[in-house]
Amino acid sequence: MTFIGNNAASNSGEPLRNPYLPFPMRVERTFVETSDRMLKSFDLAFMDKTDEAGFRFQPGQFCEVSLLGKGEAPLGIASSPTEKPLLRFTVNRAGVVTRGLHHLEEGDEVGIRGPLGNSYPMDRFQGKNVVIIGGGFAFTTLRSLVVFMLDHKNRKKFKEITVIYGARAPGLLLYKEEMAQWERREDVNLYVTVDKGDEDWNGREGFVPEVVEEVGPSSVDAYAVICGPPIMIKFTFPKLADLAFSPERIYTSLERRMKCGVGKCGRCNIGPLYVCKDGPVFSYAELEELPKDY
Amino acid sequence: MMKKLPEEKVTPFVEKLLKDYEVLGPIQTAGFVSFGRITSPGELKLNHQNSTKAPKEAFFPQWEVLFRYRSTGQSVEVQSTEDPGRTRILFGIRPCDIRAALLLDLVFDSLDSKDPYYINKRKGTIVVGLGCNHPVSTCFCPSVNGGPFSREGADLFMTDLGDGYLVEVLSRKGRKLLQYLNGKEASEEDKERAMAIEDSAARGISSVIEADGLMEKLEKMMEAPFWDFLHEKCLGCGICTYLCPTCHCFDIADEAFDLRGQRVRYWDSCQFPLFTLETSGHNPRPTGRERIRQRIMHKFNYFFSTHKAIACVGCGRCIIHCPVNLDIRRVIDDIHRE
Amino acid sequence: MEEIQNKIRQEVAQLLSEGQVDFVIGFEQGSLPLRATPFFLRDIADANLLVWSPFCENNLATYLTKIQGKRVGLIAKGCDVRSVVALVVEKQIQRDHVVVIGVPCQGMVDRRRIEREVDGEILKAHQEGEEIVVEGRDFRKSLPWKKYLYPSCKRCEHRNPLIYDTLIGEKLVEEAEGAYHEIEAFEKLSPDERWSHFTEEASRCIRCYACRQACPMCYCAECFVDSSFPKWIEKGLDPSDVQFWHIVRAYHQTGRCVGCGACERACPMEIDLVYMTQKINRDVKELFGFEAGLDLDSPPALSTYRVDDQQEFIK
Repeated sequence: MTFIGNNAASNSGEPLRNPYLPFPMRVERTFVETSDRMLKSFDLAFMDKTDEAGFRFQPGQFCEVSLLGKGEAPLGIASSPTEKPLLRFTVNRAGVVTRGLHHLEEGDEVGIRGPLGNSYPMDRFQGKNVVIIGGGFAFTTLRSLVVFMLDHKNRKKFKEITVIYGARAPGLLLYKEEMAQWERREDVNLYVTVDKGDEDWNGREGFVPEVVEEVGPSSVDAYAVICGPPIMIKFTFPKLADLAFSPERIYTSLERRMKCGVGKCGRCNIGPLYVCKDGPVFSYAELEELPKDY
Repeated sequence: MMKKLPEEKVTPFVEKLLKDYEVLGPIQTAGFVSFGRITSPGELKLNHQNSTKAPKEAFFPQWEVLFRYRSTGQSVEVQSTEDPGRTRILFGIRPCDIRAALLLDLVFDSLDSKDPYYINKRKGTIVVGLGCNHPVSTCFCPSVNGGPFSREGADLFMTDLGDGYLVEVLSRKGRKLLQYLNGKEASEEDKERAMAIEDSAARGISSVIEADGLMEKLEKMMEAPFWDFLHEKCLGCGICTYLCPTCHCFDIADEAFDLRGQRVRYWDSCQFPLFTLETSGHNPRPTGRERIRQRIMHKFNYFFSTHKAIACVGCGRCIIHCPVNLDIRRVIDDIHRE
Repeated sequence: MEEIQNKIRQEVAQLLSEGQVDFVIGFEQGSLPLRATPFFLRDIADANLLVWSPFCENNLATYLTKIQGKRVGLIAKGCDVRSVVALVVEKQIQRDHVVVIGVPCQGMVDRRRIEREVDGEILKAHQEGEEIVVEGRDFRKSLPWKKYLYPSCKRCEHRNPLIYDTLIGEKLVEEAEGAYHEIEAFEKLSPDERWSHFTEEASRCIRCYACRQACPMCYCAECFVDSSFPKWIEKGLDPSDVQFWHIVRAYHQTGRCVGCGACERACPMEIDLVYMTQKINRDVKELFGFEAGLDLDSPPALSTYRVDDQQEFIK
């Protein structure tokens, strides 16, 4: 992709980056994650090295992934900044854009706009135990978070790391390679579960809320991050409350219909906050202050 | 600096402006007055209150190309379209609409993110305001920090004296237009007449909304049954949002024609059912109840919470044009009575 | 009119007191002169707020597809009743869920035309018999209101409700100009002239969908403009998209539009709309002998087939 365009002048006279123009990216690798083929990961590389140098993100952030002619989809960044230059997105085939993205092959071009949104509060997590709970394909930004924390430069900043991840069936688990690696590590407690196993599955069977209760992570000096389908969150949240996690110690990442990604088009607001700009990461304490408009 | 522009000099003034600038203002559109570009001074309808469409279109058009793209097989070329072209003059704009532009600036020209399409047009526009000698009954600008003669945001400000206009220069941009103006220094008498007109205009405001305490009242009303009944007669069209000078919601889509196309943005409305519909099928605002609540809460609570200003300028368009006469003044009264 | 107003109030009070309906949809005084506004009424004490005037211009049947199983009393003009019939025939509402309080209608006043008769804002307006008296800052004018009816009222052939549970007042003599009178002028235009008129009108459209929302027959859960797969139409102001919107909406009304004019009354850009559906309606009448909203037992024209239907288009 080549860009021909003018940029607006800011007050200081320097050109401003147009927030609606995507960075051109090349698809380096595609990988079908799940047995139902609904989830596919794409590893992207910047076509312009200056774009790459300027792209600095934190776990939890997302990009508007742009397929010219079809539109954009807001997708959580699944790779960690520690994995640069890798930039991975895991796409659920659900609508017009994601259907189009699924047809991409290695060498194809896409665009991304970002990094957008806020990130998981790493500064708060430092020196603390972190419990990460994910369900289904909501695990994308949690992968970014776990890989970041487990990176050798970062691991000692955090105390005990517990990951509880569940899917409906073994074939629907994401990031099987990563999970296998984490299984072998001593410095992370991984609990993978499925709602219902198959004949090859020797792992745990059980819903995520039940596993959370079984594992019973301590809430002392701890933070929890929970991402998953509404039903999973609905039943897991009380388990965390039972374990004495208070609302300001539990974080989640919200989804909304998004378009501009920079808090201007007006649609993703919850009260005065925009999920694209002031979120998508919120603590439950913050959510309690907001209107129930989600 | 104040100049007097006699009546017979108004047309030559606008004619000269038209030679160097694009001029937009209130114009006759079918049977009513709306807002658009003029090619001759006679098209301006300066004594009308208030144009059906708001001048916000000058910076935030209803439909705008963000960039065009062309795939040539080997690569894709993307051409962004931020350049607004010629400098434009908004001529005869009411103080409410000028204030609305200042509120839109808070959204599009914010510290964390700048919208070049809006900003370029805004920077390239000179605002010639026109005071409202006779506010209509649906105007309530003073209730929301405005006024029929508020000069806030104008580069030049005109007062209709009957036999011409008092023209005040309020900014550097405004000063640029002086060379086109063939008028003398305003006399003391002109200035006194202008003041009298201003006083009478202020007294001519008959609608009031109680802005004090409104935000706090709404804070507690998120789950109130009030919204269950308010939305009943609302049709769920987009008239109030589209004609509102402070509404800024938009959608972005790709319009593709085989190997080329454009990414456009166009106005969208929180009153439409698709506005917040998620791909999963979940819609946080599934019925008119949630959607009308969003509109009221956004204008009078959420926006205020973030920007310390009510996102309403009291122009009255939503009142005049709502097909079912859903009147924001009555709504606010009812909110206070809750 | 005042007599009718009182009768409406009495009838509604009775309906509510007998518990026959969960709520009533009628009109109350608007907040602007020349306006009445839809009123959803549950409390008998509020029955005295109901009004009946030449300003009751909205088609209240448009609310019926949202009532979700409740029983509703509806103050209905002739056109509104035709909409009720059309909705029942299309199985969108059940006849026994609506108590129709039919009001023979002398027509509704085109408030925009009245506003243009005076110089300055109308601050007060009231009806005095055959006149509407409008007052402004420095004027007072009396206008014979029957000369200022909406075009759809002037050509209305069904001022008397065709079905009703109660009829308020006396039936009126049907004295319309003829339902398709005004499109005869349109039909005399050449195709280029017709296209020019259509595109000129459509050029003002701001895609607010007030026409669609005001129309009782536009009740689709997903309007074709909102379909993304397939995406039939873009949502911006490219003239071809705007024209497509109008044409397709008109065609989706084939044999369904009752000609009430609610679309034109709602449109803030005063776009001519009814001529399109009236032309199609007349074609349907000629081809299939069907007009919408006249008979509870006649299925919609486009969902039935008769062996003797005209077939010249099959070549």
